[in-house]
Amino acid sequence: MRNERWCEILGRFLPPGPRRELFEPACQDLRASDAYSRRRRLPFALRALGLLAESWRVYLFGTLPKEPLSMFTNDIRQAFRLMLREPGFTLAAVLTLALGVGVNVAVFALVETVLLRPLPYTAGDQLAVIRHRDQRTGITKDFIAIGDYIDLAHRQTAFDGFASYDTFQSTVSGLGEPFRAHGLAGSPELLDTLGVHPALGRAFQSADSRKGAAHVILITDEMWRDHLGSDPSILGRGIKIGDAEHQVIGVLPPGFAFPPDSRVDIVFPALLPAAAPAERKSGWTFAIARLKSGMTLQQSAAHLGLVSRQLEQEFPTSNRGSEYYPVPLREALVGNTGSALVLMLAAATLVLLIASANVANLLMARSLARRREMAVRMALGAGYARLMAQLLTESVALAAVAGSTGILIGLWMTKAIVAMIPKSLSVPGLSTIHMNLNVLAFALALTVGTAIVCGLTSAFTVRTGGSSGSLVSPTRVTAGAQTRRSAAALVVTEVALAIVLLIGAGLILRTLTRLISVDPGFQADHVLSMTVQFPADRYRDVGARRALYQRGFAALKNMPEIRAAGVAAVTPLTGNNWTVGFQRADQPVAAGERPPEVGWQVASGGYFQALQIPLRSGRLFDDRDITGRLVVIISEAIERRFFPNESAVGREVLIGERRAEIVGVVGNIRRADIREQPRADMYFSFENEPGNQITFFVQTSGEPTAATSAVQSALKAIEPGMVILQTRSMRDIVADGFRMTKLVLWLLGVFAATALALAAVGIYGVMAYMVRQRMREIGTRIALGASRADILWLVMKRGAVIAGLGCGIGAGIALVVTRWLSSMLYGVSASDPMTLILATIVLTVTVLAACCLPARRAAAIDPAKILAES
Amino acid sequence: MHERELPAITHLQFLVLGILLSGETSGRSIREVIASYGHRRSAPAFYQMMARMERDGIVEGSYEQIMVRDQAVTERRYRITPSGSQQWKQACEFYETIKIAATRERWSNA
Repeated sequence: MRNERWCEILGRFLPPGPRRELFEPACQDLRASDAYSRRRRLPFALRALGLLAESWRVYLFGTLPKEPLSMFTNDIRQAFRLMLREPGFTLAAVLTLALGVGVNVAVFALVETVLLRPLPYTAGDQLAVIRHRDQRTGITKDFIAIGDYIDLAHRQTAFDGFASYDTFQSTVSGLGEPFRAHGLAGSPELLDTLGVHPALGRAFQSADSRKGAAHVILITDEMWRDHLGSDPSILGRGIKIGDAEHQVIGVLPPGFAFPPDSRVDIVFPALLPAAAPAERKSGWTFAIARLKSGMTLQQSAAHLGLVSRQLEQEFPTSNRGSEYYPVPLREALVGNTGSALVLMLAAATLVLLIASANVANLLMARSLARRREMAVRMALGAGYARLMAQLLTESVALAAVAGSTGILIGLWMTKAIVAMIPKSLSVPGLSTIHMNLNVLAFALALTVGTAIVCGLTSAFTVRTGGSSGSLVSPTRVTAGAQTRRSAAALVVTEVALAIVLLIGAGLILRTLTRLISVDPGFQADHVLSMTVQFPADRYRDVGARRALYQRGFAALKNMPEIRAAGVAAVTPLTGNNWTVGFQRADQPVAAGERPPEVGWQVASGGYFQALQIPLRSGRLFDDRDITGRLVVIISEAIERRFFPNESAVGREVLIGERRAEIVGVVGNIRRADIREQPRADMYFSFENEPGNQITFFVQTSGEPTAATSAVQSALKAIEPGMVILQTRSMRDIVADGFRMTKLVLWLLGVFAATALALAAVGIYGVMAYMVRQRMREIGTRIALGASRADILWLVMKRGAVIAGLGCGIGAGIALVVTRWLSSMLYGVSASDPMTLILATIVLTVTVLAACCLPARRAAAIDPAKILAES
Repeated sequence: MHERELPAITHLQFLVLGILLSGETSGRSIREVIASYGHRRSAPAFYQMMARMERDGIVEGSYEQIMVRDQAVTERRYRITPSGSQQWKQACEFYETIKIAATRERWSNA
């Protein structure tokens, strides 16, 4: 590019006045100089950029008195010169602080993305999902009964919008190769509740969600672009979804997804009755609502509670104990990841505090060494304020370098943490995590804060030091008692903070070991789970489905690597809380009463064999159940609770109006979550009513995932139209239960190890400094007859006091703050004495080890040499 | 003694006006001359001073296109105004008076 063009472009970065008066003539001079002389050290563009910066400086500060500015620039220059002169000190301080800042930046980047970034909907913080709680059992559900949803939507007055939704997948054909589309079915109010309006066409109307209405859909912008070539005449076009043609009535704006971060291609109107059906729990849906302006969550919860009680009184059989309550959408999406992130941020803050204490100690030691320089400056007329300004500038420069390095470390750590978060945790926003202005502002605030704290500490040393003595005797610059106490106090703080982190990490470690040793009640090793869907239009008849599964089981049994195979509707430990009312046929609940609820599962006999769920009495489901009467299997917990001192096998239970015979009793398993106690479960026979979508459980002789392709091929050979929705080993599913704990342990472990190392370095520094300061005293003591052991004890005693004080204070703090960890702990109390003792031992040993080197150096002092020198 | 007003121009402006007394000069040349007197200014800082002098009416600036080794360069050129000449003379007289008064004082003390 020509030089003149550079002048034009760069000139645009200045207001017209300074551009015309300062920059343009200066730039022309630069061009003339270039034309006169061929010798150019830097490219023209760079030099013109320098002129731009200088023009800004002159424009902004040109009229200011020169002195403060030059004083500041001199201080900055001096600070960087000092850093270069003491590379060891600079490296130690910069790395320590950078580590502290980096850890915080990384964790804050996650917190910002997951907890602070606005949800992608208008006033997203006003959105809440509606959940159900059974007050009798305490079991909560994310979904609500259709009957209750309709009545809640009609009766509530606390929300501006109240909508139902559900997600599913379906096959789209007729647009090239058939593909699985991700669908969202919502009531007509859903888009209004979310504050979303179609970019093209219209939204759903009430008539669209009634039975018999024309099949209409909305498509997302991504679907419109990727599969329909952004067809401008898309409205009214038909698309085949499943086995029915649907008419497109609108296109949603780009980026629309609900729930956030999920993939949505098509939005359908949910088919809802106009009034609540008599069988209130005949269907289930998720619900979302928008709080009325000025209404708090507590007020809306109280209002929903009131409506829940009305429904309970009106429909006692179905609604006894049912309570509906709102949960903020963000909280519902984030789950326990939110509290884990806040915990991580708190731990990272502790690491930064320890790092700051270490650097403050280093700066304090350097200030002492520079006391003579300060004394000279003061003798020449510099006031304390001037010296403090200089020391603050020095620490700001140091922190600026550390902060920049910390941001780089933070960038790397963010990627590392994100890579460690398992996909199964589905943390919202993780795909969009990046270093944005908020994170940079946070890093800047941390850096400035740290710089001020560290700078003030070293300035404090100058203030309290007294300088006249330093001027007289440059070789005998010693720390005052107050400074020594300050340094020791900083190390005590480090030790105290480090033990808090150690105890936290210890508690999580113990939680993890407990979780890993939990027996879920079934054998997860060597079991593969595969969720499949068979084409509904080809297997409408129960007999056809039954024959299909029979062929499937037969094919799997013929495979040499497969020991047992079965199917079930619910995969254990995936959070499923589906329940069903339980009542003995011979002891039905009173009229109008709601029977107690137990876990619901549909399974084949092979399911129990594949997962090795023990059969306690009776038999498993088999071919006898295909056309026979309704049969169920119950878990031991049901037998103990409802059939005390008798055998349940052969007895009958009531399922609605029907009777079912209990044919077997099996062992209890942990159904929803590995942390939950085994609950009562009732199993319905899959053989009796097989569905189109089911999960196969296959026990293999070798590594289960190695059998994946063989199992897929065997099933595909029976039905090529089969779609595999998910394949995972049961070991992997069990591990999901403690993945978050593992992640927290990993991070807390790293933070605790860093804290331990920093505390060790801190105490080493203080003890080494103390030994150096007391050389003469130690030499005199040895000369007067003190043994090496006495000297070792002298130094170690001081280290032990610091360790003891730090551990005591830290343990006290830990007892209070580890309560925040309670929700993450399992099988261990937040004030677990064993963890406390172990952490104290680890820290004390580390601190004493750090004291060993200075103590040995003190014991090895040659008294004759030291006394002669002094 | 007759009271004299202090010069309204700074030493640096005095120097610039002195240079311009010999005729119209480019900004780049003025900057080089004042640098030879030990007053180095960055180009933007120098042109800011010149802009102020223009606003005070003691110099006039204009652009002129010149060719430097086949390259067209627009140069900022300055000339002193009558008011500038007046100010320079007043400053000269002021320093002359001071000089004479100081010389007399020295003789009388001798």
